[in-house]
Amino acid sequence: MRAWGGEWVEALKKGVSDRFTEMTGISVRHDLTEDNEIQPKLWAAVAQGRVPPIHVNWDTTTNATKSALRGVTEDLSDLSNLANTTDLAKPVGLDGYPIVNTYGYVYVLAYRPEAFPDGPPKSWRDLLDPKFKGRIALYNDGIGFHFPAQVAGGGSLDGIPDHMEPCWEFVREIKKQNPLLGEDPDFTTWFQNGEIDAACTISTNALAAKKNGVDLAWTVPAEGCKFDTDCLWVPKNLPENEAYWAKQYVNLALSQESQQIWLDGLGLPGVVPGLTPPPGLENDPSYPTKPEDFKHLIRISSAVQVQNESDWFAKFKEIMQG
Amino acid sequence: MPETTSQEEASKAFRYPLRWRVMDALNAGLDRLWPARMMPYTGWALITPALLLVGLLVLGLFQMADSSLHTLDRATFLPSEGYTLENYQTVFENATYGRIIWRSVLAAVLTVFFTLLLALPYSYIMVRTSSSAVRKALLVVLFLPFFIGQVVRAYGLLIILGTTGVANNALGLVGIEPIRLLFNFPAVVFGLVQYMLPFAVLMLAPALTAIPRETETAAASLGANWFRTFRHVVIPMAKPGLIGAGLVVGTLALTDFAMPAMLGGGSQDFIANAIYDQFFRTADQGLGAALALLLVVLGSVFVGIVISIFGAGTLGMGGKK
Repeated sequence: MRAWGGEWVEALKKGVSDRFTEMTGISVRHDLTEDNEIQPKLWAAVAQGRVPPIHVNWDTTTNATKSALRGVTEDLSDLSNLANTTDLAKPVGLDGYPIVNTYGYVYVLAYRPEAFPDGPPKSWRDLLDPKFKGRIALYNDGIGFHFPAQVAGGGSLDGIPDHMEPCWEFVREIKKQNPLLGEDPDFTTWFQNGEIDAACTISTNALAAKKNGVDLAWTVPAEGCKFDTDCLWVPKNLPENEAYWAKQYVNLALSQESQQIWLDGLGLPGVVPGLTPPPGLENDPSYPTKPEDFKHLIRISSAVQVQNESDWFAKFKEIMQG
Repeated sequence: MPETTSQEEASKAFRYPLRWRVMDALNAGLDRLWPARMMPYTGWALITPALLLVGLLVLGLFQMADSSLHTLDRATFLPSEGYTLENYQTVFENATYGRIIWRSVLAAVLTVFFTLLLALPYSYIMVRTSSSAVRKALLVVLFLPFFIGQVVRAYGLLIILGTTGVANNALGLVGIEPIRLLFNFPAVVFGLVQYMLPFAVLMLAPALTAIPRETETAAASLGANWFRTFRHVVIPMAKPGLIGAGLVVGTLALTDFAMPAMLGGGSQDFIANAIYDQFFRTADQGLGAALALLLVVLGSVFVGIVISIFGAGTLGMGGKK
């Protein structure tokens, strides 16, 4: 089972893997290889007719869609628990269920309240205040930031992907603030070491840092935040019996009880109706459940993201490496 | 006659040592495995594993060259069928890659300069000191970080040079506000120099050891002070070591991944980071392969120029000087 480390794998273990072992007697080993790094290994294994190095991949929906388009994913349409899932579970722009979404998440604006004495930042443009020069952080490929930047730069979401100059203009403005660029673990370290005051990051990371004693809060500014999903999928070329149990693992992850335990650990909304929000996250902007909660969240289809992500990353790099 | 008896007794008393028997058995085994008539080929036999390893590398390069001639089809995320130079065109037309390549080269040159500047006096003192305690202390200081590894050392620098790290705390003692020492180009070069210093010292020390002390004594006897002796005698004679160390440090710095990734704050990428991004972030193996081959060419040209101008130094093992 490929998974992300830290809080992420702990939550998965408690909510799904341990229950799977209890149910089947099959022990689950978590492979913490990065999702981006396991992808070429899986693609190569399937292309060369080898058995893939993992049975289930926990992946971002955008990444997984690439694998589905490449044809390396097993069909999951026959999972019994799919009947009890919301529309969020269905991958957009793909036939059937080559992957299955398991929860949604928000790239929030996380901040140190101490650095914002007048209250939470109301706009992404608040980060342009000179006092935040060198004190803000973004993902090093800009993921999560492109869409709110499009709005903050004066553009509209309809301009994605063909008219994104407002986005790049705002990224150029942000570049003048010398932002730090990193990955999930970097944000936690930087907040803990007092290197940054604000970051565009997944709410789970902010929640984890807060649980670890960092004084941290998060908000969804007026321009909105990117909402996206993660998913599970089973690679092709597994022996038949192993593919069967891998699918059963995914099926269990879609059960109400597993979703409740797993996503309590992540602090994220699931794809099964009737889940109870973890304490403190009810009505939190990072835990959208009702239609009105999605008013300020930006969701762009995986198809558009898959087609254009490389160009967005390249453009973001071009500006930031200047 | 008593003498002969004594020899016979000694012969009877002599027991063929077990060690000799083992050696004889090994020799016999070797004779069967590698008969005497094969002796002219022994050198080739010894070098074969290394050649196989290099061969694998070259095979990989050919595969990468092939991969670099296919673009990524974003409808299927498979490489395109046809051959094209589009990936190379992307690299040459995109200003970002130009900046990244320039940054990598500049960092490699600066790292070589500063590393040799620090390694030369360090090696000289280590080699020339008459105190074995000083020599051992210098060796220990040199090797301790060497054993730690690059990533851990970079993390160490993150802690030491961070906003709340030791360096800023020390500045705070004299009333200086915390300053950002990390996540910029100088921080990356600093990390590289710190990482490369042991390599350079290890390359330089043998070259300096090979310089007879008498040459320095002779220079002094002709009126040269220590500085002039060092400038006009030691440095020219240490040139093979300086070139060897420069080549090793330069190529390692040019291809480095961890220091720019960890100390650069995401905005100081080197070519290796750009390659990683293409292979693992955007799944564009063709573009990644094109960048990788350009890095190989760049490194080879750099080494070729240095060798053609200065010779191979200690790497030439006494060849061209």
